[in-house]
Amino acid sequence: MSDLRLDHLRAEKTVLDDQTVELNLPSKIGYERIAIGGLAAFAKSVGFSSSRIEDLKTSVAEACINAMQHGNKGKPDARVLIAFRFQGDLLYVSVSDEGVGLKAEPKDPDIERILENLDPPVGFGVFLMKRLMDKVEFNRTSNHRHEVRMIMKLTG
Amino acid sequence: MNQRPNEIKIESHGDIILLDIRGDVTAFSEPFLNNAYNSAKESGPKKILLKFEETAYINSGGIAVLIQILAQTRRNNQKIGITGLSDHFKKVFNMVGITKLATIYPSLQDALNAMSAMS
Repeated sequence: MSDLRLDHLRAEKTVLDDQTVELNLPSKIGYERIAIGGLAAFAKSVGFSSSRIEDLKTSVAEACINAMQHGNKGKPDARVLIAFRFQGDLLYVSVSDEGVGLKAEPKDPDIERILENLDPPVGFGVFLMKRLMDKVEFNRTSNHRHEVRMIMKLTG
Repeated sequence: MNQRPNEIKIESHGDIILLDIRGDVTAFSEPFLNNAYNSAKESGPKKILLKFEETAYINSGGIAVLIQILAQTRRNNQKIGITGLSDHFKKVFNMVGITKLATIYPSLQDALNAMSAMS
């Protein structure tokens, strides 16, 4: 979906419009459950199927976990910001942290190499996001946050 | 937000050892899953069935723990079945390649029937 634009949703936006929802979470594993619960309710309200809502929940949970573990590096006072809005037939989601982001996107995990201890068992989060969402981008915001932006298209 | 410890019941069904895994499966589950597997393998089973709760939340941390256990089962020449997953996590397990290491069954009874018939 090369025509999907993610600039409707910016993590640095300080004044929220009347369609964007923002969550501000402690950087502690487990709190992503709050985000996916709220986002699931929102997605259901705008008509996403149960199956696509499950895809969304997994993707956003993985983005939050990466933000907490790798972006915020477990710092107790760091926060994870999640913003989402539905416009047209597209659900836009942004997850941002206080980190510097990825040097490069991780390669897709290879389970055979992991079993042989040739690779560590990492990279599943980004792998699942890319497969379950319609578009995923990694960005640096103007207020120095690392951001994952995702889109899910309402179909059917 | 702390995850509750996983409760894992270990049962024998003929020559199959069933690990009935309750609760969410995340990195936090590692000691519980490892302890359960280590207990289960004491009897030298060739067939192990992992049953999950359909409503369980499973994330990449839990997937990594499961893969580490499946690496052990491969080294121990054990046949592994998985059941109880929601349709979503059946899809996720397939995407990450767990289905190369284990067979996913639609129900507990289907799993027990199929695995019993295995040599």
